[in-house]
Amino acid sequence: MGGVRSQPGPGWSRRGLSRRDFLRYGGAGLAGATLLGACSSAEREAYTGHIGPAFSGSETVSKNTVVFTFGPDTSGNLVKMIDKFNKTNGKGITVSYREMPADSGQYFDKLRTEFQAGTGTVDVMGGDVIWPTQLAANGWIADLSDLFTDELQAEYLDAPIQANTYKGKIYGVPWFTDAGMLYYRKDLLQKAGKQPPETWDEVISISREIVGNGDAGYGLTFQGAEYEGGVCNGLEYIWNAGGDVLDPQDLSKVVIESDAATSGLELERRLVAEGTAPLSTVVYKEQEAHTAFLGGDYVFCRNWPYMYGLAADPALSSIKPGQVGISPIPVQESADQSFSALGGWNFFISETSTKKEEAWEFVKFMSQDSTQISFAINASLLPTKKKIYEMKDVLKKQPAVELAKEVTQNSRPRPVHPFYSDMSLVMAEGFNENLKGEASPGGTVTELADELERITNIGESVFNVGG
Amino acid sequence: MSVAAEAGRAQTTERAGPWSRVTREFTDPEKRTAYIMILPVLLVILLIAAWPIVYAVYLSFLRILPTVREFVGVDNYSALFTDHTFYQGLLNTTLFTVVSVVLEFALGLGIALVLNRGFVGQGALRAIAIVPWAFPTVVSGIMWRLMYQDQIGIFSYWAEQLGIISGPVLASEGSILVGAILSDVWKTTPFVALLLLAGLQVIPADVYEASRVDGATPWQQFTRITLPLLKPAILVALLFRTLDAWRVYDLFWVMSDRQLESLSTYVFKFVRISQVNLSVGNAAAVFVFLSSLLIAFLFIRFLGTRAQEA
Repeated sequence: MGGVRSQPGPGWSRRGLSRRDFLRYGGAGLAGATLLGACSSAEREAYTGHIGPAFSGSETVSKNTVVFTFGPDTSGNLVKMIDKFNKTNGKGITVSYREMPADSGQYFDKLRTEFQAGTGTVDVMGGDVIWPTQLAANGWIADLSDLFTDELQAEYLDAPIQANTYKGKIYGVPWFTDAGMLYYRKDLLQKAGKQPPETWDEVISISREIVGNGDAGYGLTFQGAEYEGGVCNGLEYIWNAGGDVLDPQDLSKVVIESDAATSGLELERRLVAEGTAPLSTVVYKEQEAHTAFLGGDYVFCRNWPYMYGLAADPALSSIKPGQVGISPIPVQESADQSFSALGGWNFFISETSTKKEEAWEFVKFMSQDSTQISFAINASLLPTKKKIYEMKDVLKKQPAVELAKEVTQNSRPRPVHPFYSDMSLVMAEGFNENLKGEASPGGTVTELADELERITNIGESVFNVGG
Repeated sequence: MSVAAEAGRAQTTERAGPWSRVTREFTDPEKRTAYIMILPVLLVILLIAAWPIVYAVYLSFLRILPTVREFVGVDNYSALFTDHTFYQGLLNTTLFTVVSVVLEFALGLGIALVLNRGFVGQGALRAIAIVPWAFPTVVSGIMWRLMYQDQIGIFSYWAEQLGIISGPVLASEGSILVGAILSDVWKTTPFVALLLLAGLQVIPADVYEASRVDGATPWQQFTRITLPLLKPAILVALLFRTLDAWRVYDLFWVMSDRQLESLSTYVFKFVRISQVNLSVGNAAAVFVFLSSLLIAFLFIRFLGTRAQEA
């Protein structure tokens, strides 16, 4: 293309479509097709076939090798534990660790692709707490009810067990847990002569007072961006006002359109609109929130347990752990119960795995008290077994465990539904629009009820979720 | 074969209808050989380009769920055209495309005209001008996002000092869109400038000399000589930029941290993340493809033909 044609041949101009034009249209068409090709499911189906073999080729999969997938091992404790298992299991089982993306969404996408293609080389997975129903409904992970008996389940916190249960069967063993909590500045509250707040109104009034005294720039910071964390925050406002999204008794029923849910979202919006939290909260994720709080300019911060560990690092934090207190997420009225969004990771066994027994040996090893304690102390991961929260020597070595005790007991799973990722998409958008003031709280719950119902209806027709 | 003979034959075929023209194409042994020789390439193109498109169109008429696969006609399209998120994406993409391409073209043309004049350091300046374009979009997206960020962003800091904006830039979709347009203009203006510069350099100097002898003013030279002769280069630049902007994906996702919707992010969300909207996402992909084709067609129709007449 390009350049002025110096001598247009007479033959050219008489034909309908010149060669040059043909190339141009063809090129433009190809340009358009590139996008289509990159996105269409045709391509998805075409390339999934390569993923399995490409991976297994790089691994030495012998008869007794169990493949375990998980995100990057940032603390180094995982590799240590796997080595220990490989040396001590006495049954000749070798676990090979395949690193997956740190981003939970990308990791899930990868697993889903592999399962859809049916080329599974994965035996055990360390997976997010929102996955079990999505994986189980498609028949990709094994029902563990016979191995992980009710008796064993009773040793664990309730919420993670609930999240791993789909249609009365258990599909995962909780590994470590996570829960939203309210961090507060102990020193500033003491100076103002205040107790840690139990209701949001107290958060607002304490913030106003301390900011008014000039001891802090802002009252509260939390995660308000349009993403999974924003969904967790929004759900906490709804739960702590007494509302819910799906009926816990019947997952095919959407109950978000209620006064309680509306007032929960109204409060979240008020916090930003009235300046308790800055306007920029609507784009904040965990990192922005902890940067803000650890910078020392805030009184309160809603975040996950990991932030407590950061406070001990002077390079990241201008406040010290001693200045930080932790309490459960505040409620709307003092009669309401406090709930925290449940996070955390679990072990699943692939349905197509030919080494389920070996895989279960590994899961058993990873779920021992001593292994959970090792992860708690060396990697700051919160245990899922109740009794560890009572062990004095563990609490001494890892104070975060004691601080988190109350919130982990009050944690609640996000909607346990096979199409949770779709629900998350619409809730993330709805909660964020409400927080920005682009939609009214009432309008938000009405629209969410509509969209969630569409998803539960599909869930009903495909998986018969309601049972 | 002589020009006259070919012209005469074209005339006869027009009278005899299009079909005999096709048969005539294949009776000419020389042409037949040519067709046979390009046949393998045509087959490859059909396989890698046409087939996925046809398949995607086919999928857009199905309802696909983990256990369901049924024909539903145009249901996916009616779901698409009643979804307000889709219109948000369409609006953002349209605004982004029109504004960024107009700005890039105006600035790019100016820069190309300046760079086309001989001056000391011309080569170095050309190299420097292209630097922003060499950045991967994701990198420049993160860079610009950090500049707009409210905690550490220099842009936010100055904007607040000067009182231009009141709230955080990244908190409203409108201001992110403006930010995205600015960073795209920063990044791809050099690309447009370079394409236009190449076009300027093939315009022979004697044309300008002749016009000067005839007493043309610099403005007349620009509108009567430079612009018409630059038309093919303008077509290429605008076509590339428009189609590129129309498919915008990476810049939006990185700069807005997945908040700003474009047609392509819409497709991605539906096809890759959602489990229940795959088919609607496919319908959206088909829409993107057809609209790109239409844009390409319009550009070639209105800019291309006149360039040939000139």
